[in-house]
Amino acid sequence: MKEKQISPPGLFLSFFRWFCQPRLLDYIEGDLLEVYDRRYKEFGKRKADWKFIIDVALLFRPGIIKSRKGYQKFNTNGMYKSYFKIGWRTIIRNKEYALINIAGLALSITCCILIFALVKHHTGFDDFHENGDRIYRIVTEQHRETVSFVNAVPSPLGEVFRENHTYGEKVARLFNETDALITFERGGELVKIKEPEGIAFTEPAFFEIFNFPLSQGNITTALNEPNTAIITERMARKYFGTQNPIGQVISYNNKIPFTITGILEDLPVTTDIKTELFVSYPTLKDFNPWLASENAWGGISSGMYCYTLLQPYVTPADVEEALQPYVKQFRPTSKNVHHYKLQPLSDIHFNAKYGGAIEKSDLWILSAIGIFLLITACVNFINLATAQALKRSKEVGVRKVLGSLRGQLFWQFLMETAIITSASIFLALVAAYFLVPSVNSFFKTQIPLNFGVDGMFLLFIAGLGILITFLAGCYPALILTGFKPVTALKGKLSMQQLGGFNTRRSLIVTQFAISQVLIIGLIVIMNQMRFSRQAELGFDKESLVMVKLGGDSLNTMHTLKNEFLRLPGVEKVSLCLAAPASTNDWGNSIRFENDTEEVNFRTNMKLADADYISTFDLELLAGRNLHPSDTVREVVVNEALLHKLGIESYEEALGKMIYANGGSMKGPIVGVVRNFHDKSFHEEISAALIATGSDWYSNFAIKINSNTTIATLSEIEKLWQEHYPDQLFEYSFVDESIAQFYESEETILRGIQIFSFIAIFIGCLGLYGLVSFMVAQKTKEVGIRKVMGGGIGHIIWIFGQEFVRLIVIAFLIAAPLGWWFMSNWLQDFAFKIKLDVWTFAIAVGCSFLIAALSVGYQVVRAAVINPAVSLKTE
Amino acid sequence: MKDYQLGEFEEIVILTVGILNNAAYSVAIKDEIESRLTRTVSMGALHTALNRMEDKGYLKSYAGESTEERAGRPRRYFEITALGKKAIQYAKDTRDELWRAIPETIWQSNLAGI
Repeated sequence: MKEKQISPPGLFLSFFRWFCQPRLLDYIEGDLLEVYDRRYKEFGKRKADWKFIIDVALLFRPGIIKSRKGYQKFNTNGMYKSYFKIGWRTIIRNKEYALINIAGLALSITCCILIFALVKHHTGFDDFHENGDRIYRIVTEQHRETVSFVNAVPSPLGEVFRENHTYGEKVARLFNETDALITFERGGELVKIKEPEGIAFTEPAFFEIFNFPLSQGNITTALNEPNTAIITERMARKYFGTQNPIGQVISYNNKIPFTITGILEDLPVTTDIKTELFVSYPTLKDFNPWLASENAWGGISSGMYCYTLLQPYVTPADVEEALQPYVKQFRPTSKNVHHYKLQPLSDIHFNAKYGGAIEKSDLWILSAIGIFLLITACVNFINLATAQALKRSKEVGVRKVLGSLRGQLFWQFLMETAIITSASIFLALVAAYFLVPSVNSFFKTQIPLNFGVDGMFLLFIAGLGILITFLAGCYPALILTGFKPVTALKGKLSMQQLGGFNTRRSLIVTQFAISQVLIIGLIVIMNQMRFSRQAELGFDKESLVMVKLGGDSLNTMHTLKNEFLRLPGVEKVSLCLAAPASTNDWGNSIRFENDTEEVNFRTNMKLADADYISTFDLELLAGRNLHPSDTVREVVVNEALLHKLGIESYEEALGKMIYANGGSMKGPIVGVVRNFHDKSFHEEISAALIATGSDWYSNFAIKINSNTTIATLSEIEKLWQEHYPDQLFEYSFVDESIAQFYESEETILRGIQIFSFIAIFIGCLGLYGLVSFMVAQKTKEVGIRKVMGGGIGHIIWIFGQEFVRLIVIAFLIAAPLGWWFMSNWLQDFAFKIKLDVWTFAIAVGCSFLIAALSVGYQVVRAAVINPAVSLKTE
Repeated sequence: MKDYQLGEFEEIVILTVGILNNAAYSVAIKDEIESRLTRTVSMGALHTALNRMEDKGYLKSYAGESTEERAGRPRRYFEITALGKKAIQYAKDTRDELWRAIPETIWQSNLAGI
């Protein structure tokens, strides 16, 4: 007689269930249903429903309603309270276990928080400009034999684009001269300040494209006249204190004066515009007439930027196409074919090709590392928790016998994990707060200290907490709650039943594999760095100081050079454009002999006097040194240049003519020098030539006696200041400048060092916890073995073989991965080390050592314990 | 002398439990009262009375079988305890005593009054 299910109004039934005393609930509900059923058949649904409701309403009376403090509540808050209490007690009772877990988790959460703050900081760059999606920077692809990328354009391009096309709603040119010497009078004294970010010759439209508001002055008028400037509030305070900055005069390099006509609000830290001194664009002609002229198409000065706000309907591709003809029009003969491209504002911060601060991929890598660390810590937690499971099997058994459901037990154990996670997060937040300054100096960022006061960040923390709790807590909780009460109570569970050795093994293997990959990376990068630093560069870089010239006067140069040479600590002096290896060099296309066309490779122009070769100890392979001269008379070339020209015999090259700089520099080859590294090891050695030419000299290269470095330097400074009283003395050591080529590698290296330390530390904690567990499990076995005559070495091996096997498996995974990663990394170097067996041997050796150190104490203690004691356990 | 507290409705309920003997569960009690006394009994009042008498020790209950109409919920059967029997006996005795004490004439005057 299966009828269609008839049921009373659900809402009232639930209401009844809610208020009814639990002891009576079943019976009365049964009555209600029975009566309802009868009425349904007798009167139909409507009436039955109605009567049911009345019944329920009449049941709502003191004898039936449950008491407020019933012995059993229907919400489960009480249970959660109990979970919390039990969890807390467990943690207090197992201090060692809790400490290991909290330490491990806190460490990795700290990293995660810092990485998150960093990634968030970087992704927030220049996102505060209105119409940011329409702002573009015009950049140049230079197609020669190879393609190179420049974030600047020829200076007239902006003007042409503005005048001849309607694509750009606004177009603004900005020329940024870095490292500017700013002077001004304060209290009757001349103040000299070097501004590393320099000054920017800026068209007013720049401030219409970008959202940098003025706090004083009017942008429509402030930068129109020559010799006017606007500066930020910070700069105004720095220069003039509390005085009114408007109307004050500052000078660039003692030559070009600027009257301050406006004050900008301080620039946000999250912008790639770093200059804080904006001067009017018309002044550019005083600074560099060629650059300011309409026909400066011959080359690209770095710092010459062009920004545009496109019309809403225009695509970058349209503009790129429109700009294409100008290359033919203005640069008809050049072998260096320009392709002008539009780079979106959102790409500027992340495109290292065009000088972006950090690649998006680097941020991904960082995030991956953070996740790696998190997984390691969770793995560790799972390991320890399953190891602890046996201790708690009796508890689980009792709880199950008393009627706990599996779900309830699951939540109980998850609650314990949540307590540990919360403690770790709290610790991590404190740690992160104190570590932010170090992160800022390490990554050269300006993350504010109060980075945590932010909705997204709080969401991240909450999410992290939940994620870790589930990631780390689920597996152990499932294992624990899966016990059969009978076996658990009888104490018949063994390690094998705790979710299997294989899970545990794979967890440990993963940890070892991660730390081994990191160690391999560490060794390879360190080796490559040592190689870059110690390898023969082809020239002398020790005890060499580059001192900037303070003026153009030829006489002063020569006088000063001679005065330097008279100093006892100075061995050699050369006037030159730059050191053999320098970021500040000049590349040019040359013409050889009777060729009609320029060659298609870049030649590094090393303008220097006749003492250059001896000062830097370059090796002459053929011919002779240059004769002293102040103009270009003759040239010395390097092997690479001859090689590129296809000349095999050095003797044959002597006497051949070289034409450079469009023919304005010419001279016969008089000598050939051995190749020297003119760039970092990332790049091949380029063709280079050395020629005299005082117009280009900008440095003294001084070889000093290394014993008296400091004294000699101060004497050099004294002499220099006498000749250039209004300039700022600047010097740098050649070896330090070369070391700066590898700054980013150094950063990576330090990063990997820190992260591998953390990963290893977390791994060690895990191992330590695991081995304590194994030792506890095998106490009796060890006792019996010892009674039967097993030696200490034998017993240590029982434990050791497990770890050895795991490490070997981990190594088999880590070695190919590490090899693949590091060969990719080395691809970036033209001159590189080979990946050798030793790297991998050291990595696996380290793992063994680390494992031995972290498990050693426990294992040895277990091995030497008196069997009489160990047999008595339990 | 022990005082047996038994309200009017309680008395009806406990007597009905006695009538139904072994089949006394709430719906049956309700039906029985309703058919014999032609008055409606609300589930709430009935259960309250049953519980109160159980608390006083006049009734005891045990869980019985369940049926399909009850969606698997068990019936709760009641039976009168020894104390309960004493209580109804006491109630009846006191009533009888009171009845007997009423003078014969009252009925007549009452009838005359109609």
